[in-house]
Amino acid sequence: MSNSPTTTNRHGSSNPSRPILNPAAPPSAPLLPPPTADRPGFALALLQFAATPSVDDHIRLAAAVHFKNHLRSRWAPSPAAAAAEEPLSSSAPEKEQVKSVLVSLMLAALPRVQPQLSEALAVVSSHDFPQSWPALLPELVASLRNAAEANDYRAVNGLLGAAASLFSKFRISFDNNALRLDLKYCLDVFAAPLLEVFLKTSRLIAGNVAGPPDTLRPLFESQRLCCDIFHSLNSVELPEFFEEHMREWMTEFLAYLGTAYSPAVEAEGTVDALRASVCENLQLYMEKNEEELKDYLNDLASTVWKLLLTPGSSPSRDQLTVTAIKFLTTVSTSVHHSLFGSPEVLQRICSSIVFPNIRLREEDEELFEINYIEYVRRDIEGSDIDTRRRIACELLKGIALNYKEQVTTLVSMQIQEMLKVYAVNPGENWKEKDSAIYLVVALAPKAGSSGGYLVDVESFFTSVILPELQEQDVNAAPMVKAGALKFFTVFRDQIPKQAAMALLPHLARFLMSESNVVHSYAANCIEKLLLVKDRVTVSGSDVVTLTPRYGPLDINFFLPQLMTNLFSALQFPESQENPYIMKCIMRTLGISNVNSEVAAHCICRLAFVVSEVCKNPRNPTFNHYLFELIAALIGRSGEKDQALIPVFDASVFPVLWKILVDDMTKFWPYAFQIFAQLVEMSKPPLSDNYMQLFHVLLSPENWKRSGNVPALVRLLQAYLQKVPNELKDEGRLHQVVQISIGLLSASRTEELGFYVLNTVAENLSCEIVAPYFRDIWNAIFTRLQNRRVAKFVNSFVIFMSLILVKHGPSILVESTDSLQKGLFMQILQPFWIPNLKLISGATEMKLASVAATRLICASPVLLDPSFSELWGKMLDSIIILLAQPDQYKGELENGEADILETLGYSTAFARLHYGGKKEEDPLKEIRDPKEFLVTSLSRLSASYPGRYRTVIEKCVDPANQAALLQLCTTFNCAIV
Amino acid sequence: MADEDVSPQSSYHRDAIKTSVHNTSAQRRRQLAVAVGKERREALIRTKRLCREALFDDNEASLEGNMNIDEERAVLNAQASQIIEDLKSAMTYQGKGAAQKKVEALRAVRRLLSKSEIPPVKAALQAGAVPLLVQCLSFGSPDEQLLEAAWCLTNIAAGEPEETKSLVPALPLLVAHLGEKSSVPVAEQCAWALGNVAGEGDELRNILLAQGALLPLARLMMSDKGSTARTASWALSNLIKGPQPNAATELIRIKGVLDAIIQHLRNLDDELATEVAWVIVYLSALSEAAVSLLVKSDVVHLLVEKLAASESLQLLIPVLRTLGNLVAADSYMTDMVLVVGHNTTNQILLGLIKCLKSEHRVLKKEAAWVLSNIAAGSVGHKELIFSSEATPLMIHLLSSAPFDIRKEVAYTLGNLCVAPAKNAEQPSIIVHHLVALVNRECISAFIHLVRSADIQSAKLGLQFLELVMRGMPNGEGPKLVEREDGIDAMERFQFHENEEMRNMANGLVDKYFGEDYGLDE
Repeated sequence: MSNSPTTTNRHGSSNPSRPILNPAAPPSAPLLPPPTADRPGFALALLQFAATPSVDDHIRLAAAVHFKNHLRSRWAPSPAAAAAEEPLSSSAPEKEQVKSVLVSLMLAALPRVQPQLSEALAVVSSHDFPQSWPALLPELVASLRNAAEANDYRAVNGLLGAAASLFSKFRISFDNNALRLDLKYCLDVFAAPLLEVFLKTSRLIAGNVAGPPDTLRPLFESQRLCCDIFHSLNSVELPEFFEEHMREWMTEFLAYLGTAYSPAVEAEGTVDALRASVCENLQLYMEKNEEELKDYLNDLASTVWKLLLTPGSSPSRDQLTVTAIKFLTTVSTSVHHSLFGSPEVLQRICSSIVFPNIRLREEDEELFEINYIEYVRRDIEGSDIDTRRRIACELLKGIALNYKEQVTTLVSMQIQEMLKVYAVNPGENWKEKDSAIYLVVALAPKAGSSGGYLVDVESFFTSVILPELQEQDVNAAPMVKAGALKFFTVFRDQIPKQAAMALLPHLARFLMSESNVVHSYAANCIEKLLLVKDRVTVSGSDVVTLTPRYGPLDINFFLPQLMTNLFSALQFPESQENPYIMKCIMRTLGISNVNSEVAAHCICRLAFVVSEVCKNPRNPTFNHYLFELIAALIGRSGEKDQALIPVFDASVFPVLWKILVDDMTKFWPYAFQIFAQLVEMSKPPLSDNYMQLFHVLLSPENWKRSGNVPALVRLLQAYLQKVPNELKDEGRLHQVVQISIGLLSASRTEELGFYVLNTVAENLSCEIVAPYFRDIWNAIFTRLQNRRVAKFVNSFVIFMSLILVKHGPSILVESTDSLQKGLFMQILQPFWIPNLKLISGATEMKLASVAATRLICASPVLLDPSFSELWGKMLDSIIILLAQPDQYKGELENGEADILETLGYSTAFARLHYGGKKEEDPLKEIRDPKEFLVTSLSRLSASYPGRYRTVIEKCVDPANQAALLQLCTTFNCAIV
Repeated sequence: MADEDVSPQSSYHRDAIKTSVHNTSAQRRRQLAVAVGKERREALIRTKRLCREALFDDNEASLEGNMNIDEERAVLNAQASQIIEDLKSAMTYQGKGAAQKKVEALRAVRRLLSKSEIPPVKAALQAGAVPLLVQCLSFGSPDEQLLEAAWCLTNIAAGEPEETKSLVPALPLLVAHLGEKSSVPVAEQCAWALGNVAGEGDELRNILLAQGALLPLARLMMSDKGSTARTASWALSNLIKGPQPNAATELIRIKGVLDAIIQHLRNLDDELATEVAWVIVYLSALSEAAVSLLVKSDVVHLLVEKLAASESLQLLIPVLRTLGNLVAADSYMTDMVLVVGHNTTNQILLGLIKCLKSEHRVLKKEAAWVLSNIAAGSVGHKELIFSSEATPLMIHLLSSAPFDIRKEVAYTLGNLCVAPAKNAEQPSIIVHHLVALVNRECISAFIHLVRSADIQSAKLGLQFLELVMRGMPNGEGPKLVEREDGIDAMERFQFHENEEMRNMANGLVDKYFGEDYGLDE
């Protein structure tokens, strides 16, 4: 790693096109060749710069960084470049030259340059090693032996580092024969030299146990690298060589775990880092080679355990503690758990390892103060997997698997003891109480499991938690408060409703605590509490339903206060984008009866929050909830109270407009969806603002970003429905048609294109649309020629159906036939008839069947007896379509949302749950499509008695004939 | 350095799920052909064997007891040089009784190399033993001389890798003496020597194959003489074990080999059956051609009978391996041979249950592996296993056995919950199996696997969690997983270097615990 952070940053770019030299540095033109990265020899030239001693250090580093990045982008031919035959990748002879000098140049490089070249080596080897670089490993081994012979540990460690990165793939790849062949090769060449070097270094260390840090550091570092390689080479399965030399390895491992070095060395951290690596290796062996390890296990476990009892304060101590406890946890859950089974050992594990590590430490307090987000993530979001507290609890759970009663007794006693110490001097000893609460929460049995609680939850709540929540000063002892709030949140199901209700005002008070953790926890607690559900048995049956425990009546009275505090909490430093608060606002408003006054107030506050967030959006979760909430408020309240619409216009429109003006593209999908809601709600004629927005909407630029498109379609639909007549003006309809044709041309947006066209067909009068039919049909038929997939054809059938039912069959037939005579009949046979059966979705099915019914019963085109076979097949399809079970009827409203979700956009489209469009049935006047079919058929047949009966008998499948007959009976009609 | 890519956390949305989890759910696994680890058979039957006792009647064997095997190494080494020197002079001696002298000198070398715990092979080699022994193998030499020379070479080859490799000059002659013109004891001793050579590694195996060792060894395996067939089988098993599959395929195509295998398996001689079973292990692991012949032969029934009847650990291990490989390699096994309702199927299940109950770790592990392959079969197989005694046994093992057995058992239990995929659709879940396992508190064991340092186990754990979250009734799955700390177990892979694992885990977390999780109502 570089020892100069400024240099690191200056050259810290993985993007080769970015300038790598500090603009403030002296001009380098005379030294560096012009950037001819595509010319052969460029990589070698860079490498030479990096290795030439006479060149300035900065430039050597710059050249090395650039070299590495150059290789990263060019070593492997990208598939695209290969296809285009672009000479982007390096040439074969140049590659060979680079490979022949890289290792030696890396070893000779400046300390700061070496890591760069080492990474470059990793880049090359990730493609070429081992097959295309057979010389590498032998070269590394030879150099390693020479370097070790010469006691040159800078070189030894450089080489081990390079080897470690070569072998890391064995850790992370899935087992297969190809990987095993590579591994076998690496083992054959490297396993023995690795052990040699490891043992040699061990002897050097053993001969110098009391040595100074400067002597020992490179040696420990070397051993740590060996351990790292050990881990990689042992990741697939226990290699024969390592099994045969297990004693050597384990003996040295034990030595590092068990030997105490001088205080200066211990404080420095390298040895703890080595020990942590050793523990990781032990963990790996424990999991994979338990049987082979068992002879060493007793010594290892007791040494690790003793190590944990030894105080240490090195920078790597945390990491060591965590890996060491993890190892012990694995042992405790293994078949060898009896190592820990005696009462004395259990007692010592608890009192010397678990409990001390559960105690809050200064680092925790600091984190609580200065980085609440990280603290919360670790404390309640489960990202604490590698913290001391969490890992200590894992050990406790591990030993409790086999020694449950003993552990429970020990922990219960400990909790009582901690509370006693706390009671003696609460001001001084608050950490004891914190630990007690932590233990109870961490060891709470999983809901639904049979385990008992450590303590009686209700009485613990009353005696320990309640006093904290009732304390007047919301800023006192914040960490204990946070613990108490967490306790309440975790055990919310067990706290009776009445007790919880009484605490709600207190929770609201804690929203005003200055501590970010405390007000976040208060918000989280309220939010989770409102979600609690009770299992209720429906009377007279054994059906159990989940019913929300808290409803509007429980919080309505309290709503204004709660909202005030929640919005105030958003003003605290660092909490402007606090997702817990926003989620709580959303949940609270979602559950209560929001009256117009509250809605107006909230929407103004939220609009303000949006304007603030736009200045520097940081938290996507927060923002999502924020927009979701605005959508929910507009959707719900606007419908109930028309008087709110001007309020929304006045408060929300400007901030959304600003999002567009300021090019906050991240928020555009949200803005367009909410605009759509506003447009739908408004009364024509639309204000100038909205007409201006309409203009923006139609600009083709905005449609190029795929993440926007679903939201834009949604907004466009809103305009088409609301102000269809405005489309005549200013060439708008032309723009809309062009946009939809553009959407139709790509498979991932074609469905959206049809949505637009459907809306046009549905809402605009025939005269307005007529001039554009030619363009539309042209686009569809062109695409249909190479894309006959069901998805596209189905959309096409729906579109035709919509035109038919809205504008009549003749418009449909004439407009297509105007393109080419007889075209309509050519569509019918290969597309409409077969795909009609495939239409799904209740609205779509109804539309398609009614349209088809009208086509065969009310349109002159198919009445000609020469088309009777087509007529019959169409009827056959209609019957099949109608015979499908109407399972989706209940989902009418969600039809569109589902479709949007299944579209695979690369920039995912952030759909607002509450901003969804309600799909309208374009055929409200028709109650039942089945009835419509039989009555239409009955009427038609009456005009031509006998004719259609014959056609039906001839062309309709017998099963479908029977289904039709049944429908006739149902609706009391007859086909004569 | 700080020039890593932008942390994915800061990007607005995670990658779409590129790899879906369920594609690989119901799976069969064949023993991987490339052996990295020590072969487990060694603990029981060594890949290389010292020949201590004569294959023929050796009158002087009793004399050997007098030698002190605790002698100092140096003494032995000195002795070795001396004895080799003696052999050298015996070779050049042209006088009366020359042949007898040679044999005696050879016998001395052989005794030296057979008796001590640590035979002074190195010293013998340094003294130039190999060229002399090669000379002794020349065509037309008396049987006794050939035998003693091959014996010496056998024990040299049983030594360290370098020592084994020193036999290379002797290989053509050893191969030549396998032929039909040689006496049975000579051929057998040569097979032994070659078995040791082949056991050393693929480099030497390839040399032997190139020199044509396969066919004469196969012929020897067809012998009616028990010890000959046994030695030849053992040598063959070393010779064909890959990693290249060619030799295995070539072997099974040799006329009479399959018949000989069947005949030997019918024999009551457990030792012979064991050696032959190891030959089938490698045939089934490596060669598709062999698999398709084996599954349609009587071999399967014979192996299942051995599995059910035998208590011999040495025999059961290769039997289990072969059965597991065959089931994994060819669906003919589950479709046509181990049909639910057939006696063979019940027999194999009982045999496997017996092994699962065994005290021996390796048997348990191998049995669980075979079972996992059968459990990847039809719904009928899954139901049969699920309703058998195996399931409670496995649930118990899942939380109490050594970790490697837990993993094998987890594969089986996971496979029991997934119906075979039809076409390219995602396989459907057998809900009542899943629910039963979840009710028996299996989730935490699978979450433990997700946390494992072993990437294969972690993948298996994720696959099971996917089943739970997708398949548990009433959408209960995500809650159950969350309750057992499954989310943070999965989040461990958020930035993992293995792309497939990263996408799987992130995809699951996004799908089941994404922004909308907990938002309903």
